[in-house]
Amino acid sequence: MTTVEIFVGIFEGFRVTATVTALGLLYAVPFALVFGVAQYLTKGMARLAITAVIEFWRSSAVIILLFVFYYVLPVIDIQLPAITVAAMVLGLNAGGYGSQAVRAGLQSLDRGQFEAAAALGLPRRHILALIELPQALTRMAPTFINQLIQLIKGTALVSLVTLTDMTFRAKEIAESEYNPVGVYTSLLLAYFVICYPVTVFGRWVEQRIGGRKGLTNEF
Amino acid sequence: MNSDGQPMRQTAPWPVEISQHHSAHPPDRTVAVEAAALNKWFGSFHALKDINLAVPQGSRIVICGPSGSGKSTLIRCANGLETFQGGTIRIGGAELTGDEKQLQKIRRTVGMVFQQFNLFPHLTVMANCTLALRRVLGKSRSEAVGIAVHYLERVRIPEQAHKYPAQLSGGQQQRVAIARALCMNPRIMLFDEPTSSLDPEMVKEVLDVMIDLAADGMTMLCVTHEMGFAREAADQVVFMDQGRIVETASPATFFAAPSQERTRLFLNKMLR
Amino acid sequence: MNFDFAFAATTLPTILGVIGTTISVALLSCAGASILGFSFEIARRAGSLPAYLMRFTIDFIRSTPVLAWLYFLYFVLPHWGFTLPALVVGILGLSIYFSGYLAEVFKAGIDAIPKGQAEAAKALGLNRIDVVSFVLAPQMLRNVAAPVGNHFVSILKATPYLAAIAVPEMLGSALDIASNTYRYAEPLTVVGIVFLVLALTIAQGVRLLERKLHGPTNR
Ligand SMILES: Nc1ncnc2c1ncn2[C@@H]1O[C@H](COP(=O)(O)OP(=O)(O)OP(=O)(O)O)[C@@H](O)[C@H]1O
Ligand SMILES: [Mg+2]
Repeated sequence: MTTVEIFVGIFEGFRVTATVTALGLLYAVPFALVFGVAQYLTKGMARLAITAVIEFWRSSAVIILLFVFYYVLPVIDIQLPAITVAAMVLGLNAGGYGSQAVRAGLQSLDRGQFEAAAALGLPRRHILALIELPQALTRMAPTFINQLIQLIKGTALVSLVTLTDMTFRAKEIAESEYNPVGVYTSLLLAYFVICYPVTVFGRWVEQRIGGRKGLTNEF
Repeated sequence: MNSDGQPMRQTAPWPVEISQHHSAHPPDRTVAVEAAALNKWFGSFHALKDINLAVPQGSRIVICGPSGSGKSTLIRCANGLETFQGGTIRIGGAELTGDEKQLQKIRRTVGMVFQQFNLFPHLTVMANCTLALRRVLGKSRSEAVGIAVHYLERVRIPEQAHKYPAQLSGGQQQRVAIARALCMNPRIMLFDEPTSSLDPEMVKEVLDVMIDLAADGMTMLCVTHEMGFAREAADQVVFMDQGRIVETASPATFFAAPSQERTRLFLNKMLR
Repeated sequence: MNFDFAFAATTLPTILGVIGTTISVALLSCAGASILGFSFEIARRAGSLPAYLMRFTIDFIRSTPVLAWLYFLYFVLPHWGFTLPALVVGILGLSIYFSGYLAEVFKAGIDAIPKGQAEAAKALGLNRIDVVSFVLAPQMLRNVAAPVGNHFVSILKATPYLAAIAVPEMLGSALDIASNTYRYAEPLTVVGIVFLVLALTIAQGVRLLERKLHGPTNR
């Protein structure tokens, strides 16, 4: 096999990589918005409960979460396809990080925005939806894009629960073909061509939001 | 240090290497800073245009002028924080060559006080004052502390020595910055708007320290819009506009009868 | 089949037996990633060509999954004649992967030092080395301490990836128990809880450190 053939062979796993990413987003985005807003709005016990859920998804090691859910759910008689479990775990982990961006974005808004809207007589949910969230969204954008990259890269994990993604394909090819340099360079490149545009886009967004300072040369 | 542990106010000689460097022209030690035909560009922007200015040893010169007129740029050229493209600058008679080693030597003898204080936030007041004494002049810890205490007393905050800059008010921070510069026993002190980022009630405590210094005969080149200070302490007032020195006069003449129209307009604005 | 709490408890000592490996790997990888990341950032300030090359290197690393790096090093290094213990390969892989993030930490930590600091130090006659070592470096270290701590938590949570290249850390030992006893749920749940507790504890420690460093005394 030539390196090009290896690269193409690895990309046969792209469908799974893309599917897990897309399904993962279906978990991540709603979780981030709902729990981030909830953490922002609640107080006391309710906030504690919400924080606990967020911290569980955010602070656990995602690879272990995947194994735990993959092996523990069947024990308590919940049979789910591996791809669903993977998307849920990866998505909620990314969503946990996203929720913190949502909360921080909302908290960083000038209090005057809320007061001005409230003074106009807008109900709370309208203030949130029309005044606070749209402004907070720009501040969250870099974290969201970063989490998207983390999610895409995180999908490499599904190869460990026997899903035929790009990483799994690389290992398959490596078994039939002794060409570690070709196989694993291609694997790095395969993810690179997917994630790099997102990385560059993220940088661009970050630059647009907060005008960066120049470099100092003292060091 | 004399017998009672106080450092003597004694002016350090100019570094030998610097004066030897220009043996063809014997250095004129009576002029602390001298700019001749100085020109400075930021890219295509001409920031300083043919500046000629001499600060004789023992004199006090105040520079004023509208924002963007090049005051900071000029004063920063005087200790090599900015490079320049035309003309010469002499410090104590020695011409600035841009050589890093020479600059370091010269900077020991030129104290600078910044608008933003620029105290080192991770060091106590004492450590701010002793850092250069120890690292640059190689003083022992106890000697450095003795000198620092002396100058902190002069700026009237010896009791704050163990605190960190963030625990001090703006006025106190600026006085520490002055003490830090004085510790090096400089031949000249440069001030770049030392009171303009202070709350009004703290301006006086800093100006009082500066007036004391002036009374002691310290050579000072001072960018400030404190006209009271200029009247009381300056020998000469220099007015700059658009990168040029427009007018130089004694304070009495400068405020009472400026010769240039631009100076008059500026003063009208300043004095309301 | 049911979740057996008694059995779960018996797996705890075995799993905790290798907690030392997990923590050492995380510490060494964090040190490696910091050194690499710092070097990238310094190189980036050396001129426009190095800036471009380093920017690309950092973005490349950030666009590729840690698992792909581990496989790459594990299978390619021996091919090139470097046969290293799996543990070393793992530390190397985590160091490279996280250097992309640590570089950003050092960038922010350096940029946050006001320009006037170096100027004031120079105005006092300090030489370049002293300006860096007595004025800039201490402030940079204080600026990066908390973010490096946060990345240490991320690195710790990435150590179970090393199970994929047969490093005997906590996830590996849990999977060993699982394959010997045919019970997956219990050891995996235990290792998940251990990681969660570890991560939350260290994160709390980092928060305390942050408060101490940026409290009322300093700045
Ligand atoms: N690093 C720089 N790069 C480009 N232009 C600069 C730079 N520093 C200063 N300038 C420009 O040079 C001119 C003079 O600046 P300078 O800071 O000396 O003015 P100033 O008289 O001190 O004004 P202010 O009263 O506002 O402090 C300004 O137009 C400024 O925009
Ligand atoms: Mg200025």
